[in-house]
Amino acid sequence: MYEFTYIRPGSLPEAAALLASNEGAKPLSGGMTLIPTLKQRLSQPSHLVDITALAALKGIAVVDGRLEIGAATRHIEVATSSVVRQSLPALAALAAGIGDPQVRNRGTMGGSVANNDPAADYPSAVLALGATVHTDRRAIAAEDFFQGMFATALEPGELIVRISFPLAERAAYAKFPHPASGYAMTGVFIAVVGGAVRVAVTGAGPGVFRWTQAETALQARFESAAIADLEVDATDLNADIHAPAAYRANLVRVMALRALETILTSSKGQ
Amino acid sequence: MTFSRLEDRRFVTGAGRYVSDWNFPGQRHAAFLRADRAHARIVSIDIEAARAMPGVRAVITAADTAAAGFRSLPCAAPIPGKGGSALLRPERPVLAADVVRFVGECVVCVVADTAIAAQDAVEAIIVEYEDLPVVMTAEAAVAAGAPQLHPAIPGNVAIEFETGDPLAVAAAFEGAAHVVSLDLHNQRVVGSPMEPKGCLARHDPETGDYFVHVCTQGTTGMRAQLVATTGIPDEHVHIVAEDVGGGFGLRFNAYPEYSAIMLAARLTGAPVRWVASRSEVFLSDEHARGVSSRGEVALDAEGNFLAFRFNFLNDMGAYIAPTGPVVAVLSIRACLAGVYRVPAAVANVRLALTNSVPMAAYRGAGRPVISYMIERLVDQAATELGIDPVELRRRNLIPPTAMPWKTVNGLGYDSGDFPAVLDKALGLADWHGFAARRAEASARGHLRGIGLATFIESTGGGASPDEVEARFGDHGEITIHAVSHSHGQSHETAYAELLAAVLGLPRERFRLRNGDPAVRLAGNPTGGSRTMHGVGSALRVLADDIIAKGRELAARALEAASADIEFHDGVFRISGTDRSVSLDTLIERHAGGPERVFDTRSSARTGSTFPNGCHVAEVEINPATGVVSIERYTAVDDAGNLLNPTIVAGQMHGAIVQGAGQVLGEHAIYDLETGQFLTGSFMDYAMPKAVNVHGLVIADHPVPTPTNVLGVKGVGEAGVTGSLPALMNAILEALRPVGVTHFDMPATPARVWGAIGAARSGEGRRFAHA
Ligand SMILES: Cc1cc2nc3c(=O)[nH]c(=O)nc-3n(C[C@H](O)[C@H](O)[C@H](O)COP(=O)(O)OP(=O)(O)OC[C@H]3O[C@@H](n4cnc5c(N)ncnc54)[C@H](O)[C@@H]3O)c2cc1C
Repeated sequence: MYEFTYIRPGSLPEAAALLASNEGAKPLSGGMTLIPTLKQRLSQPSHLVDITALAALKGIAVVDGRLEIGAATRHIEVATSSVVRQSLPALAALAAGIGDPQVRNRGTMGGSVANNDPAADYPSAVLALGATVHTDRRAIAAEDFFQGMFATALEPGELIVRISFPLAERAAYAKFPHPASGYAMTGVFIAVVGGAVRVAVTGAGPGVFRWTQAETALQARFESAAIADLEVDATDLNADIHAPAAYRANLVRVMALRALETILTSSKGQ
Repeated sequence: MTFSRLEDRRFVTGAGRYVSDWNFPGQRHAAFLRADRAHARIVSIDIEAARAMPGVRAVITAADTAAAGFRSLPCAAPIPGKGGSALLRPERPVLAADVVRFVGECVVCVVADTAIAAQDAVEAIIVEYEDLPVVMTAEAAVAAGAPQLHPAIPGNVAIEFETGDPLAVAAAFEGAAHVVSLDLHNQRVVGSPMEPKGCLARHDPETGDYFVHVCTQGTTGMRAQLVATTGIPDEHVHIVAEDVGGGFGLRFNAYPEYSAIMLAARLTGAPVRWVASRSEVFLSDEHARGVSSRGEVALDAEGNFLAFRFNFLNDMGAYIAPTGPVVAVLSIRACLAGVYRVPAAVANVRLALTNSVPMAAYRGAGRPVISYMIERLVDQAATELGIDPVELRRRNLIPPTAMPWKTVNGLGYDSGDFPAVLDKALGLADWHGFAARRAEASARGHLRGIGLATFIESTGGGASPDEVEARFGDHGEITIHAVSHSHGQSHETAYAELLAAVLGLPRERFRLRNGDPAVRLAGNPTGGSRTMHGVGSALRVLADDIIAKGRELAARALEAASADIEFHDGVFRISGTDRSVSLDTLIERHAGGPERVFDTRSSARTGSTFPNGCHVAEVEINPATGVVSIERYTAVDDAGNLLNPTIVAGQMHGAIVQGAGQVLGEHAIYDLETGQFLTGSFMDYAMPKAVNVHGLVIADHPVPTPTNVLGVKGVGEAGVTGSLPALMNAILEALRPVGVTHFDMPATPARVWGAIGAARSGEGRRFAHA
């Protein structure tokens, strides 16, 4: 680790000002990604602006038919929240499957979405549900937010404040955990929002993406047979020491089938 | 709260003392600059900027180690090579001098006031390299025209061993009705102990003494290697260690960093500490296995084994680690024909050098290489000949009536009842109920397989006798000193219970102290599953020696002849009377004072023992994802007498799961072109997880060995030796119905799924190591 200054601002404007006035400053949320990169000396921020105490970034509530979750909300809070479990159980289930208990006790939704790790779980939910990312400057639609591997629409110093999810009629997430890291080797989130089926895939490609072929097929008939034989094009999928692209292509279909199975065997999806 | 092990309170309350828990006034911190490339000539090293940085006390390079008279790290072959040939020894400097040969090799050691300042200075060092071609696999290393690693080792082969009778084997193959062969790769793995390696050295300029706090499996081996490397006389090197957080073999040798830290302490005149990061552990802890092999078996028409022929090609890494050749050849020699009656066998073992971390011992230390080879070959023969794998084994097992057995290359097994062990395992595993379980799984679309391994181990004989010492304290506590260091094996409890049972004292009276420099003992480090038969035997002698002292004192106290005094349950009694005195009373009266009459040093010398077992694994594979799940696992082991069955079961659990780790996913991978290490963290290196293993059943069938007073055999590593072949046999058995005929470890989901797909589509049936 290199030396840095740690600051814990008391308000969102104060945090924003700190980030604006120090070019080398970085927001620190759960630290589950940021701190390991500091320890390995891969990043050298001048200041760490701890945003986890900011009231504006806290809280889980259903407001006007949407589920609003503060950016500093920890995974464990999403996983165990009765509000989330009732309004969007698939999201609670997703959060319960992130990493391990230590990671869930520290890591936050805002940190995960801002980081946009290509194997992170939350981006699939944000994209499939068509959620809106609210920052201290604007509202960004999920479609526009994720821009490929570790890239997002966030500008320097811009902070995610909360994420607003429409309440899906039906939704479920299925994940194949990476045997070493536990991240998604492939994760598929299926949501039906306002009658429209959306299928988002994480882990398999360089960034979260929608599997439109499956969306069309499921829109026509919402059953396993609709996607059971769909071929997933492996061309742009990840290949590495752990698995060839063809394996991930297979997982996209298998995880989609599992998510669908969850939806079909429960009233609202898990 | 009560704990079943004496050491547990300390561990669970965070009171254990590891290397990073030692601190001394004025202590400095070290960091290492490591090679960032696999093979290169060092053109220049510029340390000026680093030296000038704040808080920097010393910047040490090969020039300094040379000035200090340091030599190459030691290595030796335990037996001569083929035709009496000697090991070609590579020069292995503490800090790279002219050439770096693997990513992670130490080049410069920086000492500063803080660990951060030392790291900062490391980044200010500029090394100019001239890249050399890399060679990353043993096969490539021995090929004609391969890049050469060491001038002393032309062709990159350090030695070739041969054990057995090649002519007898050739003759047997000649007349065989069937010949079955199998190529296998036993992949490179990282040991991953919980405690990263570390070292703290203090130097006393007055006396010339060094106190070296390190992670160690035993002080004697550590000290000898440091003495050999640094040239500092043995009497001036004192190894200090208390708790050691895991070892598995890779805390046996003295890493080059330790010698560098000793020099750092002398040059800076201050205690210097260095504790590796997890990244450094991945990059520079010894790795293990990494063996390519070919096995052949000749059989007669009835399925009797006529001969085994094995060829092993070992990837030894860039240098020969001190324990490397031992691991490569001794277990293969000792267990050459496994548990089978085979009239002829031969093994050839070649040690090749590659641009990678040196290879050394890791749980099993060679036994999981030979057991894996033999037991997979036997299954292959069963498949090709259409004989039931149990029946084929049964036909060839050495019968108990043939014990002691002289093995085909002139060594021997003292005891064992292999058929009884097999039968017990088959019964507990419900081998015959498998067909129904497979049918049930297949109705769910899953592939289910069962496999077994009947195997034997040879435990470490020990290079020296094992000495132990009891020191009686002023408050009734009895401190036991021994060399064999506990790094997770429950020595504290096992020793205390052994002594408590013989002496009739509560086990809480005993303390264990390994690695106390004030008590120099002869003995062997922990390794080769030998501690209980080695140190345990010495403790039994120690107990008898203490009783003998007590008997003399009791005779005086009771005014009787010592021959008339019997000892039972902690009490000395004049035979046939009720006149008695307890050992405890005598200790209280006599242990203190300047004579310390009860303080006792004893020793024992034992040879190898031959634990054996039959493990049965049952797995299920989901063909949609390739995920292998271990559904049942039955281990029946003959470890001789069991002193504490809970500890034994714990050792079996740990070792079986460690084997499962290698079978299911552990794989240390280097980039073949650049030599960069690709699996350098737990994000990429797949450790086994609790969810991978279900239904572990541990049972024993003890056949006490006559070779030591306790009748114990050794238990620390048998789980791996059994689980590699049993699990892989089960996995292949599950895959055979879809057409897969060969599969190398690791059975990762992607590889298993790939094998199923290739077999089904007719693309290929053999899924070999890439
Ligand atoms: C061992 C391990 C296993 C894991 N497994 C999984 C898994 O299975 N699935 C999964 O999805 N994730 C996994 N993670 C990631 C983890 O869940 C966190 O989500 C992730 O580390 C980021 O969240 P954080 O709160 O820790 O963010 P931090 O590490 O604090 O920050 C990450 C980045 O986002 C920036 N940032 C943080 N908050 C904001 C904000 N509000 N606005 C703008 N920028 C911000 C930071 O500056 C930093 O650049 C794992 C992590 C570890 C260490």
